[in-house]
Amino acid sequence: MDVALRNLTYRRFVELGRAPLPEELGDRAEVLAGWRALHDAHALVLDGDALRMAAPFSAVPTPHRVHAGGRWWHANCGWDAFGILAALHCDGEIATICPDCRAALVLVVRRHQPSDPSLVFHCLVPARQWWADIVFT
Amino acid sequence: MNLFRSEEHVARWLGDRTPGETIPIVQLAALAQAWWGDRLAPDWQPHTRAQNQAILDSVGLVSPFWQLPAI
Repeated sequence: MDVALRNLTYRRFVELGRAPLPEELGDRAEVLAGWRALHDAHALVLDGDALRMAAPFSAVPTPHRVHAGGRWWHANCGWDAFGILAALHCDGEIATICPDCRAALVLVVRRHQPSDPSLVFHCLVPARQWWADIVFT
Repeated sequence: MNLFRSEEHVARWLGDRTPGETIPIVQLAALAQAWWGDRLAPDWQPHTRAQNQAILDSVGLVSPFWQLPAI
């Protein structure tokens, strides 16, 4: 695994506030080859030649939004929404929806503690199957 | 992997589907902190399966549902 490329990808993702293009990281063909190896190692997720996930960050819009560090981010899931705040080491706000009633759920998170502790998190897929279809997971 | 208003909302959303596991959001926050806290570290290295399983164990997620696959 090319850890240096992985770390560069994550650093540029945060600097840009979006997924970097391969040519923004170096020679396009070399970066794509490196990304494919990282994808196979579950270090990031590609959709074709584009980044889909640099978990906990999502490269595409999702219902799980996080305000942190002065900008809005998209997370891959509810777990990753908290993960963005953990990765950035900052407080922030999580905005998502309850999949059942479609009500907006807005949480302020300070020092890792959510403002509404009454909410729950449901993980549908057992851990042993998470990577069988990580986008569905 | 979603947040819900309550366990009742989870049950209604699931309908006839086989449920996974539901945990309090405070436990999720602790899990996320341990799992993702190093993700942007300049010297980040991949977690081993054992490291990730230890994180799950450390926040009380010890049932078979939370057992990662052997690599």
